[in-house]
Amino acid sequence: MKTNVIEQLKASYHGVVENIKDPKKNAKRSRKAKEISFTIVRSTLLIGLCFVILFPTIQQILMALRAPSDVNNPAVIWIPEQWSIMNIKIAAIVLDYQKAVVNSFKLSAISMVLQMASTALAGYAFSRLRFKGSNILFILVILTIVIPPQALSLSQYLYFRGLGLIGKEGSIYLMSGLGMGIRSGIFIYIFRSFFRGLPKELEESAMIDGAGVFRTFWSVMLPNARGALVTVGLFAFVWQWNDAYYVKIFEVSTQEFPLLTMRLINAAENMYAALFYTGGLDLIGQDVWANPVFLALISNVSALLMMLPLLIMYLFVQKQFVESIERTGIVG
Amino acid sequence: MDAQKKTADKVSLSKLPKMTYKQQKLFWAIIFLLPWVAGIIFLFLVPFFESLRYSFYDLTPQAGEIVKEFVGLENYLYAFNTHVTSTSSFRVELLTTTTDVLINLPVLLIFSLFIAVMLNMKFKGRALVRAIFFVPVILNSAAVVSAVGGGEAINAILEQQGIDRIFDLEFYLLQTGMAPFLITFIVGLIERIYDILALAGVPILLFLASIQSIPKHLYEAAKIEGATSYEMFWLITLPNVTPHIITVTVYALVDTFLTSSVSTIISDELNSQNWGVSSAMAWIYVATIILILIVLGAFAKFFKIGESHYEN
Repeated sequence: MKTNVIEQLKASYHGVVENIKDPKKNAKRSRKAKEISFTIVRSTLLIGLCFVILFPTIQQILMALRAPSDVNNPAVIWIPEQWSIMNIKIAAIVLDYQKAVVNSFKLSAISMVLQMASTALAGYAFSRLRFKGSNILFILVILTIVIPPQALSLSQYLYFRGLGLIGKEGSIYLMSGLGMGIRSGIFIYIFRSFFRGLPKELEESAMIDGAGVFRTFWSVMLPNARGALVTVGLFAFVWQWNDAYYVKIFEVSTQEFPLLTMRLINAAENMYAALFYTGGLDLIGQDVWANPVFLALISNVSALLMMLPLLIMYLFVQKQFVESIERTGIVG
Repeated sequence: MDAQKKTADKVSLSKLPKMTYKQQKLFWAIIFLLPWVAGIIFLFLVPFFESLRYSFYDLTPQAGEIVKEFVGLENYLYAFNTHVTSTSSFRVELLTTTTDVLINLPVLLIFSLFIAVMLNMKFKGRALVRAIFFVPVILNSAAVVSAVGGGEAINAILEQQGIDRIFDLEFYLLQTGMAPFLITFIVGLIERIYDILALAGVPILLFLASIQSIPKHLYEAAKIEGATSYEMFWLITLPNVTPHIITVTVYALVDTFLTSSVSTIISDELNSQNWGVSSAMAWIYVATIILILIVLGAFAKFFKIGESHYEN
């Protein structure tokens, strides 16, 4: 009986040893362990970075929802004690929000469409309709990426003044339509690499079926370029929305045509004056607006209000955008 | 000239069906490029040479006219030697930006490649993580930065409440007894992570796209031969991505300069109507970028970075 137990123990011990020593099983185990540890490292990193990205925005939103009198309340850390949209209301008045959003949206949308059209055409010509000297012209595209807008602004300004476009949105539309808008060079580059990556057979079969060059472009190549279109469209819209440079140089933002970026910059430079002139001060008591932290908070909330439409838009577009990355093959 | 072109267009339109495919292509290439060519001539080349000319002149606006006076290299000398702002000067900012770029570029390249490789893997919630990673690109705006002022308001509020120590990494790291210079490096890196992410957005996009354009059969073959994912990265992914490192470098270089304080100084000079000086500064800026590009290009050529390894 005794020996039996010992023998059994011995047998199981041998079994375990064999199991450990078995190279095949060992390899499997170590692979699994590596996989698991790698997954843990990766998820920690990615979750951490996502947190770093989202944290300031979440913080700003929660701050914005505090009641103005609670700005210095030490009891309020994250979650507001009294929920209030007063800060947002005041910031909206300062920014002339309703008008400014509509204007910014209109400007960005039209210039996005124009920019997409001009850069897609140029990119297609540079990739698929190559001719002698097209490489030399493409060097100019690279040059437009490298040269800073400041080097060109003065003569562009004088030029537009001659055309009577200063102080009008037309100047921005003209720039975008002629493929010289904000970072158009990069968009041309993206389109060129993308169209170059499409299989030659597409073009050939369209040609055999009797499609002309334009038809091939419009009904065969362009629908296949959805990824590049989404990427370029998103960036064109966002960069125009955020642009404070061209808008300032060409004096596009006026009293009748307020734009978010310029209103925000002006307000941030002197928040008290902005509140005073727009009548935002009447909404709150002096004990609140005399507090410099409150003024800084309103400036923060204004920035949040400017970004909000972009964030909402991104929520809707991000699926196509992320999918487009999958298929873009942007690189030539 | 115009009339000629019009008749030429008409002729070619009426002959359209008879054109060979090659001729058709050329014809449409011209039409497709027409807006861009107009733009590049009127809005790029003309201003380009004008501003070069302006940089040698002293320009003063006078009643709807601009009075020009040739001053030679004075503007350049002024930009380098005498220009000061309230807190800094053009020369100092240019030097710091250049050194910053040279230090940050490798970090940016490695970081964005690393993130791109991670985002390319298959895991749960990948779409969500990808979407979040491009949020800083969307929110990267000079106006927002000036309004938020580096989060000063929020920091002030947090400090008043004494909870700014919750995420005080420096404090915890000091407790572990790490070397102080390492701690400052790590803390600085984390503080700038948002800026780095904002800059890295497009490079990540470019790297992601280039990784996805690597033929899948290479990985399949490697897997059958028993390669680990570590080996696959160094022997397949990296060599295939290197040709695009140049693209990303150029983009990142231009982007950092464009968002740097040098660029702000030039715009300020432009807005205060010191046009000659701002043109000169812009040209110094362009010269710096091109110089860096040439050095990097020579470097890349010397170490054979960016050449496709299949052709050798």
